[in-house]
Formats: sequence, C-alpha cells, structure tokens
Amino acid sequence: MKVSYNWLKEFVDIIETPQQLGTRFTNLGLAVDALDSHLDDWLFELDVATNRPDCLSHLGIAREAAAAYGMELEGGKPAAEAFSISIADPDLCARYCGRYIAGVKIGPSPESLKARLEALGVRSINNVADITNYVMLELGQPLHAFDADTLQGQQIIVRRAELDEKITTLDGVERELNPSILVIADARRAVAVAGLMGGAETEISPSTSNVLLESANFDPLSIRKTSRMLGLSSEASYRFERGADVEMARYACDRAAALIQHVAGGTIYRELIDVYPRPRKPVTVMLRRTRIAAFLGAAVDDTTVERIFDRLAFKVSHAHQGWAIEVPSHRQDIVREEDLLEEVARHYGFDKFPATLPKWAGHGSGLPFESGERLLRDRLASSGYSEVIPIVFSDLSIERKFRPDTEPVRLLNPMAEDEAILRTSQLPSMLRTLEWNLNHGVRDLQFYELGKTYAQDGERRSLILAATGALRRKSVYESEREFNFFDMKGDVEDVLDTFNIELNSSDDTIPAYYHSGRAVRKGDLVVFGELHPDYAAEYKFRNRVYIAEIDVEIMLESKEPRVIKQIPKFPAIRRDFSLLLSKGTRYRDVELAIRGLNIPELVRIEPFDRLETRPFAESKYSLAISLMYQSPQRTLTDDEVENFDHAILNTLKQRLGAELRQ
Amino acid sequence: MSSSDGIGRLRALEQQFESECVSIVDHRSLEDTRARYLSRKSGLLTIELQNLGKLPKEQRAEFGRVANQIKLKIEGALETLQTSIDRREKQKTLEREALDVTLPGNRRRTGHRHPLTIIRKEIEDIFISMGYTVEDGPEVESTYYNFEALNFPAGHPARDPRDTFYVADNLILRTHTSPVQVRTMEKMQPPVRIICPGRVFRRDALDPTHSPMFHQVECLLVDEGVTFADLKGTLERFHKEFFSEKTKTRLRPSFFPFVEPGAEVDVSCVFCDGSGCRVCKGTGWVEVMGAGMVHPNLYGFVNYDPEKYTGFAFGGGIDRYTLLKYNINEIQLFFQNDLRFLEQFS
Repeated sequence: MKVSYNWLKEFVDIIETPQQLGTRFTNLGLAVDALDSHLDDWLFELDVATNRPDCLSHLGIAREAAAAYGMELEGGKPAAEAFSISIADPDLCARYCGRYIAGVKIGPSPESLKARLEALGVRSINNVADITNYVMLELGQPLHAFDADTLQGQQIIVRRAELDEKITTLDGVERELNPSILVIADARRAVAVAGLMGGAETEISPSTSNVLLESANFDPLSIRKTSRMLGLSSEASYRFERGADVEMARYACDRAAALIQHVAGGTIYRELIDVYPRPRKPVTVMLRRTRIAAFLGAAVDDTTVERIFDRLAFKVSHAHQGWAIEVPSHRQDIVREEDLLEEVARHYGFDKFPATLPKWAGHGSGLPFESGERLLRDRLASSGYSEVIPIVFSDLSIERKFRPDTEPVRLLNPMAEDEAILRTSQLPSMLRTLEWNLNHGVRDLQFYELGKTYAQDGERRSLILAATGALRRKSVYESEREFNFFDMKGDVEDVLDTFNIELNSSDDTIPAYYHSGRAVRKGDLVVFGELHPDYAAEYKFRNRVYIAEIDVEIMLESKEPRVIKQIPKFPAIRRDFSLLLSKGTRYRDVELAIRGLNIPELVRIEPFDRLETRPFAESKYSLAISLMYQSPQRTLTDDEVENFDHAILNTLKQRLGAELRQ
Repeated sequence: MSSSDGIGRLRALEQQFESECVSIVDHRSLEDTRARYLSRKSGLLTIELQNLGKLPKEQRAEFGRVANQIKLKIEGALETLQTSIDRREKQKTLEREALDVTLPGNRRRTGHRHPLTIIRKEIEDIFISMGYTVEDGPEVESTYYNFEALNFPAGHPARDPRDTFYVADNLILRTHTSPVQVRTMEKMQPPVRIICPGRVFRRDALDPTHSPMFHQVECLLVDEGVTFADLKGTLERFHKEFFSEKTKTRLRPSFFPFVEPGAEVDVSCVFCDGSGCRVCKGTGWVEVMGAGMVHPNLYGFVNYDPEKYTGFAFGGGIDRYTLLKYNINEIQLFFQNDLRFLEQFS
C-alpha cells in the first residue's frame, strides 16, 4: 500500500520526520518496503498484513500513527484551544513554540535515559525534565516544561519584567526583576526568567499531569546581561548567550513532545503553537574563486570547495566568478566572504596551505628611545645593577608619602584595597623589592628599574637605582666595603655620562624622603642620595639605602653629541697642593673659585685626599688637590706653571681663606 | 826558566780551574773565579802571560798558543756557567712568586638584565630583522581602542569588570596590546608592518600561572596581497629563530573577534622535541599565540579598503615565551625580583 506523508498529516499532527515515522510503522507491524521522496512529499510503500484491511487507507494508517503519538485523530483538541501564547517584546524574543501534553505520568526516567544524562554530568530529575535536557544536549535547543495547571489564565506572555516584580527560581532563590529582564509570564505573574531558569511555582512536580512545553529563541545580549545582573547562569543561558538556531525551535519542540509522550505517556494536543513574528530571512554570501588564492595563499579546486559547503549543509549554487552560498540557519557566524574563506581553510586543512614570507620592501626599526635604553642597560649592568620588574599596582597612602601632589590613576574594581591605584613613583615598589630580598637573606643589593609611572595626566618612563649593603664583601683579597653615597653619585655620573650630560647640581629642594645632608638634585632630571632614616626605619632596613631617580625622557632628550678630542701632543704637568680650609667650605666652592680664573691650560682638577682632624686647628680640614696643566700648542714652561699656581692659590686665599698646608 | 816549565805551570793552572769550576753555583762565585784567573792586573793567567817576554824567543810561540788556548777554554766554561746560573736564578724567582691559583677569582659584581627584558629584546630583534617597526601605546586605554575598534561588541564577556580593570566607564587598563594595531592603522595607510610589545592587565590573582600584570607582543602586517600562507610562513620563521631550526609551528582553527580565520598557534615542545613531556603535558605541542587574518570589520574603523588590502595579526605572551625559553614554571618569579633568581640571567 502506497501512503503519502502529506496526506497523513491531514488526519494527524505528525511530529516526526518520514524516516522516524517509518521506524514507528515497522515497530507497529507495518513493514516499510520503501520510502522515497516525491516532489515535496514522501511516499511509503507499506506491507500491510492480511488481517488489517483497515490499514489499506490513509485514515487507517493515520489512526495507527496518532495512537503511537498518543494523539487523537482529527477530532482531538488543538493546542491553541488549551493555551494562547503571545510575545509582547519581539525585540528580545524571536520565536516561541509551545506544545501541550495532557495526562502525563511524572516519574523517574528509564535507566537508559538516566545513564546517558548522568554520564554527561546532568542530574536526573524526573522523566519530563530529563527529556527537556536530553533534547537540548541532542539538538542544542534549550527547552522548558511548565506544569500547565499552575499557569494562570491559560496563557503565556513573553514580556519585560515590571519594576519590583519578583520570582523564586527553580534553585529556590527569590530574585528581584526589573524592566531590562525578559520573563515568561502567565496572566498574573512571571513564571520564568526567559532563557535562564524557570520559576519554582510552575515547575514539574510528582503530581503534574498536564505539561506546557516551551522551545523559544531569545536575544543573546539580553540573556547575557540578565545572567550577569542576576549572577545566574545555566546550560540554557550558556547556549542563548552565544545564539541558538531559530529554525531549530520548532523541530526540537516536536521531538521533545514525542519523547515525553514515550516516557511519560499522555496525549499530545494537535498543532504546535508557533509565534514567530519576524521569520529569519535566508542569508546568501558570495564567494569568489580568485579570492581563495589571494586570501589564503593557495588555490583550492572547485569540487573540494563545493563538497565542503555541501556537507556543512550550505546551499551552493554557481554564480559569476564563483559561488552564491546560502547559509544554513544554524550558522549565524557566517555573514561575509571572509567567513566562507575560513570554512574553506578549516575543512581543507590549515596544514595544506604553504608557509611563505610576505613580499616586502622596506626596513625595520626599534622604538625611538630603544638604542638609548640599550646603552643604559649595558652601563648599569656593568656597574653591578640588576634589573627588576615589579607589579605596578599600589596603595594610595604609601604613594602619597612620595608623590603628595600627583593625582593617581584609580581603579574602579581593584583586586585588593592596597592595590587600588597605579603607582605614581617607582620608589615604593623598589623599597618593597629591597625588603623582599633582605627578608630572604639577600643583603647586598644593587637594583635598577626602567619602567612607567602613571598619573591622571599620562604615563612616563623613569629610571630608579637603589643600593644597600656591601659594595664589596670581605674576601682573601680585600676587606669589606659598604656601598656609600659617593658610590651612588659615581653611578649617577656614569649614567649621565653615557649621554654626555654633566651632573652640575643645582640647589633645588630635596624631597622629604631623602637624608637632607646626603642628597643631590639636578632639576627634574635627577635626584639621588640616602633614603631618609625615618623612611628606612619603616621598612626596617638595617643598612643605609641609596636611591637615585632619573627621568629617562628628559635624559634622552638632553643627550649631547660627543665630540672626540685629539690626543694632546705636548706633556701635561701635574701639581699637587694640600689646602687648609674652614669646615663648611665645600669642594664645589674650591672648584668654582679655580674655574673662575678661566685658565685654558688647566685641563683637570681632582681632589685626592681629605683629612678631617689634626695636625691643624679644630675649625679646619685639609683637602689635597691635584691640578693638571696642558697646552695643545706647546710644552708649558716652569714659569708659566708657577704663575698659574700662584694665581690659583691667591684666589683660594682671598675668596675662601684657604692656606697652603706646610 | 824553560818553556816546558812554563807550559807545565799553565797546565797546572788549567787543572786548578777545572777543579774549582765545580764549586761555582751563583753569580758571585762565578765573578770571583773570573777575576782570579782573568783579572787584567792580578789574574793568575794574566800573570803567567806577563812572563811571556822572559822566555826564549823560539819558545814564546808555543807558550803563547797554549796560554791562549787555556784562556779561551776558561772564558768558554765561564760563559756556559753564566747561562745556566741565569736560568736557575729566573726559575727561583718564578717559584718564589708562585700563587695559590686554585683560590677563586676576584670577580667584580656585575648586574643582570631581567629575563623578560632579555626575551623582549630577542623577539624585537628577530622582527626588526624581518622588516618590522616597533610601536608602543598607552597602558591606560579607552574601551574604544581596546574593544570596539577590535570588533568586540558591547556586552562581550571580555569587557566584564570581573576580568578587566576599569578606571572610568570608557577607560580601562588595556587587556592586550592589540589597541596599538588600531592606533597605528589610524595614523597611516598600508603598508603597515609593526610589532608592539608591552604591559597588559587582567583581573587574575597572582599564582604560579597567572598574574594581574603581564606582557604581550603583537604583530600586524597589512599590505596588498598578504595571505594566510604568509601568516604561516612568518610564524614558522619567527619560532625557528627564537627556539631552534628544529621547531615546528602548527595552526589550529580558533576564534578571536578581530581576526578571520582565527587560529591558535602551537610550537613543537622545545623540551622534548615533540615526543611528549611534563611541559607539553605529553602532547608534544605547546600553545604560544593567537593569530589570524585581520577581520575586515577592523578596516572599517580605520578606512582601509578591504578589497585592496589584506593582513595578518598575531600575539602572544612575552612572559610565556620566557617561561618556555628557560623552563621556568612560575610566573610569580618574574615579579618577586629575588636577586638569586635574577642573577642567573645574563
């Protein structure tokens, strides 16, 4: 007996594919000899047993099918009579399919169903709830089952929640809703948070007998926002957030209804309710043949391209210079040619494309300040400094001690209270680094950091040096020597000399965190010296700590080109003097007094000894200096040098009261 | 006086010298001996020669010949002794000056670059040699450059304040170095060929594998005719330069909003050469980068013609490359700055 699938549908609301229905027929004793498509229909060739003449008609076969589905023939109630569904906010809900199943018997799921769910980590609840989960895992469409008798007014309205509306969800938590949240409601109240979780009052219970099955499609962004707002996520929201296939909603609803009827019995009401205000329009994207090689780097032959799309359920048709490719509803990610190129690359195989280097004419280069910083790093390493990279989060109260006037970058969502701002200075993180090492028994330290500091008005690259402990440890060769102020000063001079900058310090104010008598500053370029004892005490530093802060941006900008001088042809003459000076007279005073004479032949002044006490008056100290004279044109005569010495000693005597020590 | 007597005395002198020679051990005894025999005034041989005139004429020649012979012999012997004494004296000096060379060397303290700096420079240098220019950008960045212009739609999970540090509604600590891509493309028309290394931030607690602050390097190439094959070739070349010529590179399909197609980049494990070990968790591959062809939507933000230009971009963690290069398994070590860790790098 030949039977038309479409004709059967006139009698019964068939909810399965022809193939699935065919299996049903076989199981009912109506052996399927053949199943063929015919135009837009399917034709079954059924072998009807001789004792069943009633099945030699479409009505008879339909009766069997209806019974298998637990449906009533024609005369059965359409679902729409039991329920009405409407979407009040179609911008957030593209489609809502519902089926009504009456007279189910709630109980545990069959073992095979339980086993399959539990293997996937899904807890078995009851037969109806389990089927909704099962179909979601099978088809990707989230579903929800309501106890239909708990729904008020026999209706479902998909709408935004009202202000102050509340719902207790399946997990027992009462949640406050607001109009940015989409809910499923009955005539009176919200019965589910759309796409996230059903309400406790309408859930399937052991006494449930009538079920309303929901298979819908919700706006991804709305679901994600709601999920974040409520701090709630579920397997359903996980899928809706990423975008479920709108064309799957109907099939999944039928599939679940059939399975529910199979495990829980009952009668499926005729006709699925399908509210689908704006049906999806088919998307067709063009793929140009030449673009494959131009974009991917190798051509792929036509049959391979067509086979790839065909197997992925795209509809391929030939078009000018390539293909017009209709995208299936489950591939929402495909909107332009590059997306199709990715499919080709993926399924043809990334590994099948060659590895080539781009064609290029030009040259590469580092960051503008990179060569300077490279020099700097080399210099610092050779001076014994190791580089550190600290975390740049900091505590406001600590930063304030060092940069009281800088408005810091504040984080709205810090990880911890004492990491709520970005550092305004490199000092606190450097002191923490020293502290960390000292606490771990590493005592002799020389560190530098080349990194950014942050403020409301921008980011700045800075350099900090820090040293404490022994410069040299005691060994069989030498005695121990602690790092001191002049070591730091020498290192700073070295760094500046790298860029041909001289350290002629100004008398600018020294920041309060430096030892007032042991610090030097040169404008905004550099300040260095010993850490103030009060600050050192806070970190329990036992040895003195020396710090230098250098603004690398200013330093690199003030870089002076180096002029290489000729090696002098004529001998230099060195004269040493031991001066008696009043305490309080500084070396710089001596140097400035001498330089003030502008003797071009005086090429170098160098202090080489200093005695604080005896054999001279208490108020004096002795400073030995050596002077070097040299002329580029000739050998200097004794008389000339005598004259220079005389002039210098006179000036020192007049201006500083310096005497020659006998 | 007969000549035979004279020659006999010369021979006796010769014998006396020979027996005395044995006791010459240093410069002083050498000079004493030289003076005793050869001194111009009182040398024993000199005195004998002064007697030459007293001999009969016919004997003088023979006497003179023997005397000269002996003189030469003495001089020769003294010369030889001189040389060997010199050698011995020098040897003694060397022995006296010997040091315990097994004591350790007296090393000057030198500093060390931070491992992250070493690796960053290494990566930069490879790309510079391949023609790329290094760019940088701000760490406090607008959400526009960090998200919008990179095709992260509003509401994308990466924008969540649980993952991203916010300074203001539309100001964040950049979560990747990719904003520099957009900033650079805004400034210029293709060809663009840059890398941008830099510091980035994500809200992860500090643990062996995570840090709220870490470092990335990003590469962008946009030009006419840039292909997916070029992306593969560039990644392959870079990893061969960085790890070794044996290193293999593999691309796996993946998704990032700002590329299409997108890929995860694996390299064959540098520790086991791909045979499987702890580092690669037995797979033979380690994941190092995200990569892909620049998404045409990005060109829309910077007014490039997607029909004319194509490009690729990729990025990875400098910290991760450093961990791999040195087989370190804790990222915290980079930010604790323990000198005992730092001084192992040069």
